[in-house]
Amino acid sequence: MLKKLLIPIELGEAIEVRLLLWCKTPGQQLSAGDALLEFETDKALVLVSAAQPAVLRHCFFREGDWIKPGETVAWLSDEPGEPLPAERDATAEELLVGFDVT
Amino acid sequence: MSKVFFREALARAITEEMEREPRLFLLGQDIAEHGGSYAETRGLFERFGAARVRNTPVAEAMTVGFAAGAAAAGLRAMVFITYLDFLMLGLDALVNYAAKLRFKSAGQLTAPMVVKATAGAKGQGPTHAQSIESWLMNVPGLTVLAPSNAGDAYGLLKTALRAPGPVVFIDHKKLFPHGGIVPEQEELIPIGSAAVRRSGRHLTLVAHSYMSVLALEAATALASEGIEAEVIDLRSLWPIDWDTLIESARHTGHLLVVEEGQVACGVGAEIAFGLRERLPALRVARLGARRAPVAASAVLEAYTIPDAQAIVSAVQSLLTRTDSGQPK
Repeated sequence: MLKKLLIPIELGEAIEVRLLLWCKTPGQQLSAGDALLEFETDKALVLVSAAQPAVLRHCFFREGDWIKPGETVAWLSDEPGEPLPAERDATAEELLVGFDVT
Repeated sequence: MSKVFFREALARAITEEMEREPRLFLLGQDIAEHGGSYAETRGLFERFGAARVRNTPVAEAMTVGFAAGAAAAGLRAMVFITYLDFLMLGLDALVNYAAKLRFKSAGQLTAPMVVKATAGAKGQGPTHAQSIESWLMNVPGLTVLAPSNAGDAYGLLKTALRAPGPVVFIDHKKLFPHGGIVPEQEELIPIGSAAVRRSGRHLTLVAHSYMSVLALEAATALASEGIEAEVIDLRSLWPIDWDTLIESARHTGHLLVVEEGQVACGVGAEIAFGLRERLPALRVARLGARRAPVAASAVLEAYTIPDAQAIVSAVQSLLTRTDSGQPK
């Protein structure tokens, strides 16, 4: 099944965040607990980890890009060969994630 | 051009100026290892050391006084006041000593210092939310700056850190979550220059700090009704850029001044009256906070402070009113 990764809207009062680091590259398998990406708000560093297994398939943003909360950041899927939708806004379940804020 | 957080624009300005001017040092609560209340001094303590990045106790009167004395004695100080409300404790040193020093000493002494303070309502209740910049505009000898974006904050703070006398540099809590564009090369913005953010022919809409962001939102909404507002961001509250204001008001004939602080004796009162003295036929209106402290309740806070919709309504009311003040 297809999954999407969002920058959570309920993230404090952030209006934009800056993507600092991808910990995985497209094609890589994630286990629950694996670090996926790190971003920065005006006040904090946020490390996002997968809370369920998935394969990272496509990243819409590069390190250094600015992202608005609610935007789709990446596509993931349960299996490596599942077809991806053409539209970034296509409906999909959200990947379960964990946050580590410093 | 590159995009940075508001705090990073401040940090870059401070870093460049501290490298340029070895006599410049910083004073404030939690500005050293902690990196500042808004993370705006992150990295400066590690870079410039404890002698130039100094934590102070919760004692604003002492801190501003210390800065004024050091500045008068030949150093150059920047003070960080977490909330503009707390500057009330430092007003004696700022107003009676720093601002008057040049006058009292016939120009022999000056107090080259910047007091940076953060204004504005953002859910923190009546004593951590005030916008009292108009109080400061009243003081001879003080320069008062209030940028609305990262690029202006960078350019204005650099100029402030080279200025001969005391400058109050006011930012706003709601500006920090925004990214903004700063120039790649070093660039200074002169004190006393307003910025025309949007051109328009029906009215001149004047604001500063975060209200400039809302004024632009309101102008976009008004444009969809066929009303073209010329939005002017003051940037410098004292001195005021009268030339830019007069040029705009002369061709629009209508003026609305918006501020987050109180209307009575406010920024809008000064701008509106100053422009009417020069352009007697100008139709003017003011919009600001309701006459109450900013409440801790989010609902009451929103009720007290103007938003984009309130600006739109005030513009509509101004443009449909007759000379007698009655609706057309």
